Amino acid sequence: MSDEIVAVESETVWPADSDDVEEAIVSSWFVREGTAVTEGDPIAEIQIEKVSLDVPAPATGEIHELLVDEQGEFERGDTLARISTDQ
Amino acid sequence: MAEADEPETAETTDERETTMSRAMVSAIASEMRDSDDVFVMGEDVADYGGIFDSTDGLLDEFGREKIMDVPISETGFIGAAVGAAQAGMRPIAELMFADFFGVGMDQIYNQMAKNTYMSGSTVNVPMVLMTAVGGTYNDAAQHSQTLYGTFAHLPGMKVVVPSTAADAKGLMHTAIRDDDPVVYMFHKRLMGIGWMPAPDGPKTSVPEDDYTIDFGEADVKREGDDVTVVTLGLHVHRALEAAADLTGEIDVEVIDLRTLVPLDTETVLESVRKTGRLVVIDEDYHSFGLSGEIIARATEGALADLSAVRRVTMPDAPIPYARPLEQAVNPGREDIIEAVQAVTE
Amino acid sequence: MISDTELQEMYGWMVTARYYEERLQEEYLEGKQPAFDISAGPIPGELHLAAGQEAAAAGVCSHLDDADTVTAPHRPHHVAIAKGVDLERMTAEIFGRRTGLCKGKGGHMHLFDSAVNFAGSGIIAEGCPPAVGAALAAKKRGEDSVAVAYLGEGAISQGGFLESLNLASVQNLPVLFVIEDNDWAISMPKERVTDIRNGSQRADGFDMPGKRVDYDDACAVYEAAGEAIGRARDGNGPTLLEVQVHRRMGHFMGDAEGYRPEGDSERAKRRDSIERMETTLQKAGIDDDTIGDIRDRSHQRVDDAIEWAKDQPEPEPDEAYDDVFTNPPAGWTPNTKPEQAESTGGDD
Repeated sequence: MSDEIVAVESETVWPADSDDVEEAIVSSWFVREGTAVTEGDPIAEIQIEKVSLDVPAPATGEIHELLVDEQGEFERGDTLARISTDQ
Repeated sequence: MAEADEPETAETTDERETTMSRAMVSAIASEMRDSDDVFVMGEDVADYGGIFDSTDGLLDEFGREKIMDVPISETGFIGAAVGAAQAGMRPIAELMFADFFGVGMDQIYNQMAKNTYMSGSTVNVPMVLMTAVGGTYNDAAQHSQTLYGTFAHLPGMKVVVPSTAADAKGLMHTAIRDDDPVVYMFHKRLMGIGWMPAPDGPKTSVPEDDYTIDFGEADVKREGDDVTVVTLGLHVHRALEAAADLTGEIDVEVIDLRTLVPLDTETVLESVRKTGRLVVIDEDYHSFGLSGEIIARATEGALADLSAVRRVTMPDAPIPYARPLEQAVNPGREDIIEAVQAVTE
Repeated sequence: MISDTELQEMYGWMVTARYYEERLQEEYLEGKQPAFDISAGPIPGELHLAAGQEAAAAGVCSHLDDADTVTAPHRPHHVAIAKGVDLERMTAEIFGRRTGLCKGKGGHMHLFDSAVNFAGSGIIAEGCPPAVGAALAAKKRGEDSVAVAYLGEGAISQGGFLESLNLASVQNLPVLFVIEDNDWAISMPKERVTDIRNGSQRADGFDMPGKRVDYDDACAVYEAAGEAIGRARDGNGPTLLEVQVHRRMGHFMGDAEGYRPEGDSERAKRRDSIERMETTLQKAGIDDDTIGDIRDRSHQRVDDAIEWAKDQPEPEPDEAYDDVFTNPPAGWTPNTKPEQAESTGGDD
């Protein structure tokens, strides 16, 4: 059994109608490092300009690392977190 | 990718955290799934999901018959909730800001709150009046009040003020199931809205299963031996921050009232008997209200144990707009620290 | 017939209001990017912009002078500008400065300028009864001034409005109620919250003249308002006027408008009352240089007001406790925090 790391990519959730925006913030994390997550669970809410949306876990596993602070800014394309999955 | 095994799933459930607004919504949704009698009426509760996210996502699941946008007519729709409740349904009416109670107050305090009594219990009014309270974002005198004392003063309504996601969910379940009218006052700053960042604290882990929290049970959010701080809503978190700052100097107990009607006097008295010092922190006006009531109960029940009392409240003045003015009037962490230090001098 | 002077004056108010709100929006969003945090940046609190509603302000206020009263709701800037509210002090108020109209206590929803009898309220429809009261005072004193209450179409189902219509009618008071129909009560479209398409039909139930202007043409508003205000000044009672306007922005800055159907916002922006007014000016033979001059002067006036306002001092914290009463009673205190700290065991 080995761990594989899956990145939570901001690009995947970026809505088409926010194509002209390059920055956003994490309004809320619903998990901490070490929290077990199931694929599809909302793990964070992000805010792109005035639009809020949920970020689903891209894989089942455990939150390995949160890369953006709550209320922290990030740019489109940044990785928000990493999930370690059991293979 | 391997499926998560059973224990891991359970662990996930326990550790995930959620915001206060999501916790409230999950309780409402669960009650609506269980009973066709529960429905929501309010301004901007459908497509908008509540200006402060209190009904976010409910329209998608329940549709417009159950999640009803209504005209800006508080007397009309709050009164309609009273009538529907008396007819056996369990409506949740949202008053967008507690400050707007004036335009529907007769239905609230002369109908909703009194019909059970005036009818000799031949009718009852099992409804929830959900409303946003509080300031800190410079919305001035008509959009920033808590009015805790006003609602709690008038007999016949139960009054609930959650401060965390876990409390918000359990109290909402209890509120909807209660056979009496319940005023559920949520602080905007605690909801976890993207455009109004919450302090640390209201976002908590919340069990996924339904649960209720009995009314009339205050929660000791922090234990301490030196000073009892009694508060509610946003100021639970400010008091906890103040208490953390005073660690090593003064050992502060923080009591979150959670419900005003009924009021858990016993928990306050027990704490005061232990500490001998009482500080009440209230985002409502100073006079004739909550802070005076708590102090009165403490003196009635534990006068001999009390050596010092303070209250830190909004002044008896409308809430100003400009940032330095609002900061001056709304009790902050430093004000709480000062008051706690003053009673231990 | 509208004189060239009046046309130019109305146009000036409209471009002033539009540019004012564009500038306010810029200032408001400063410090709120990329995260929209309502409590950050140089302008505190909520901000409700009225871009797209200027015609309803200009066409009515053209008939008013300082002695006439206007009450405005939470979206007041265009009306305040047309009523002649002091632009510099209004701007200072919106920035929360002590030299603002209300010393930083009211903010953008609660603007008061007694020099021109302008008052605001942030509670839907609640500006209507005080407007009736201003008209009542004028009648009792034998003055020929009138009162105008502005409200949105979302407010026409509220008791404060309906009761005001009745009172104004039964007392035959000089009031004009102006419904600015921008189609949206925050996220609720008009048809979801009332079964009438034409808000001025509400007048029928109160035996009062009602009229709707179906497009935001300041001149059409001018004609309708002129008739109504003339009737009021002559002692012939109130009128209800509805004007179709357009909400170019969200309900408040920060509103993502996810509820608004695709294209609705763009449609609102295409129907521009200011462009329409420019065409009207041209047809009246006013040359482009004159139009350009009005625009430039209006923009300069706005830039100057904003620059002035931003230089103004913030209020001192203790000023929060002033102005609760005109005559504070002897022995009364607002129970401020410092007093609490100084006293023991209570302070009253």
